[in-house]
Amino acid sequence: MEIATQDRPAPPPASAPPVSEPVPKHTPPSILRVERLSTWLAKWSIEQRVLAGFGLVFAGILVISVVSYRNTSVVVQNSRLDARSHELVQLLGSIEEALDAAESGHRRYLVTGDESYLKAHHAIVEQMPDYAHYLQALVGNDLERRERMTQLEQLIKEQLDIEASAIKRRAEQGADAVRHLALPGVAKRELDNIHRLIADLETTEQRSTRARVFQSTSSTRNTIALLGLGALLQLVLLGSVYYLIHHDITARRRVAAELRRKGELLQAANKELEAFSYSVSHDLRAPLRHIDGYAALLSKTAGQSLNEKAQRYLQTISDSAKQMGQLIDDLLVFSRMGRQEMLRSTVNVNQLVKTVIHDLRLDLQDKPISWKIGSLPDVSGDPSMLRQVFTNLISNAVKFTGTRPEPRIEIGAMQQVPGEVTLYVRDNGVGFDMQYANKLFGVFQRLHRNDEFEGTGIGLANVRRIVHRHGGRTWAEGALDHGATFYFSLPLKRTT
Amino acid sequence: MTTVKPIVLAEDNPRDAELALAAMEEHHIADKVVICHDGAEVLDYLYCRGPYKSRESGNPVVVFLDLKMPKVDGIEVLRTIKNDANLKPIPVVMLTSSREERDLAQSYALGANAYVVKPVEFQQFISAVKELGVFWGVINEPPPGGTKSAA
Repeated sequence: MEIATQDRPAPPPASAPPVSEPVPKHTPPSILRVERLSTWLAKWSIEQRVLAGFGLVFAGILVISVVSYRNTSVVVQNSRLDARSHELVQLLGSIEEALDAAESGHRRYLVTGDESYLKAHHAIVEQMPDYAHYLQALVGNDLERRERMTQLEQLIKEQLDIEASAIKRRAEQGADAVRHLALPGVAKRELDNIHRLIADLETTEQRSTRARVFQSTSSTRNTIALLGLGALLQLVLLGSVYYLIHHDITARRRVAAELRRKGELLQAANKELEAFSYSVSHDLRAPLRHIDGYAALLSKTAGQSLNEKAQRYLQTISDSAKQMGQLIDDLLVFSRMGRQEMLRSTVNVNQLVKTVIHDLRLDLQDKPISWKIGSLPDVSGDPSMLRQVFTNLISNAVKFTGTRPEPRIEIGAMQQVPGEVTLYVRDNGVGFDMQYANKLFGVFQRLHRNDEFEGTGIGLANVRRIVHRHGGRTWAEGALDHGATFYFSLPLKRTT
Repeated sequence: MTTVKPIVLAEDNPRDAELALAAMEEHHIADKVVICHDGAEVLDYLYCRGPYKSRESGNPVVVFLDLKMPKVDGIEVLRTIKNDANLKPIPVVMLTSSREERDLAQSYALGANAYVVKPVEFQQFISAVKELGVFWGVINEPPPGGTKSAA
């Protein structure tokens, strides 16, 4: 009989641990393989790796369970077969005994004619069908044994038949007719055959019992070894999974600490910047005020005695101071827009644009601007920041259409990408050369000389900064002398 | 209506002080202005001590406070004034270069009566100071409490 462990599945694939630690340094091909494995593993997320680790552990447990179950059932079956063998040997023994008794009994009868000696013979004749049945049941489906049992039954039948015919002759013809038979026995040869066959059968049973004992022992040993191996394997895999998780957590912790440190640095830098802009706002303005103030006082006290040139100089001093004041104010707004905390709410852009245009009414006086304002959606954002965006874009449009006889300004919205709205301010002003489009939104970037159009070059930088903080983009289209369109996108709804 | 009750102007920068005086001059209220050069001097004036030991008692009609001053800064002076039952009624106007939200919020939280950012442009500055001087020094009726002026 084949041993069940020979066809069991191979033990769980211990050759593919989730970690690429055991690198055999001396053999380049396996290093290559390990590297490939680790690059392949690197593509997996930690969750996937942990899952794979648990999957391997689970598969290992499954395989070991199946194999152990099969081994154990072999042992159980063997012990059942052992019991049956034992029973068979016992049965054969009792049959043999009964046959011996019947044989010696019938010989005594042949000699004495006393029928009481035939009790054993009658008993076995009567019991033989039961014995035969029992034998067949014990032998089961093993063809070879079944055949030998049939042979045994045949021999017994012959033996009993011979005995029966001798008994018959004794009863009918008297002692003399069978005298020559009584001493050696009628079927001594057949009985010997039976004895041999039974001994043979017993030897066979003993041999297969020994084989089974050997098989059971090795099965049990295998099972124990397998369970040990499984436990080891699971320990290794669990260790690997633990290592992975630990490694990941450590990495995350390190990143978190790094982030915290960076955050603190950033906060410190921000504080410094705040202090800087505070002192810019306070200290830089004072001298400017003095320049302008004393220039004005000088012009007031000595104005009459100064010639036109000197008066123009004074005027220039005063103008420059004012311009620098404006520049500082704009820069401060720009810096504030970057630092200021955003207060998000739903912004009614239609209303916002109306307010902005209303605020600009002083600049709009005597300007025949024709407005075209489309239907503008509600967006999510900081109202005061978005107001700054529209103020800058609309006042730009007003400024750069100043030289047009029929200035037109259009404000509209379009939706191209889902979840995002694009707002634009279009004018038919002086426009710009598209090759400078990338410079438009930079700080202090100007495409016009100051004597053409006034400005500090911060307005559009502010627009870009605010829109970026809202998670949107800014871009512009235009052509020299053919107007310009400034676009910015805003997410329609955002939770952060 | 004229009153001799003084206007206190706390200004550490002599040029700013001179410009402010020049502005008030135009409305002939410059002679009522007492210039203090830092926060400590303002407190000396208010509490009639140090160089102001012998001044006539009584609270000024208004105090103009710069934020950034040596020794004691504007916020500290404001806090002292608004925490003193006698000084509390004095109107305090913050007159500063700072447009920082933090300063605005803090000043109002401490009880400032007004907050004015000094304009860079002289004409605007002049008109601002003038208006402030006229409003607080002439038009506004000062609180009666603690004022024993020699009117």
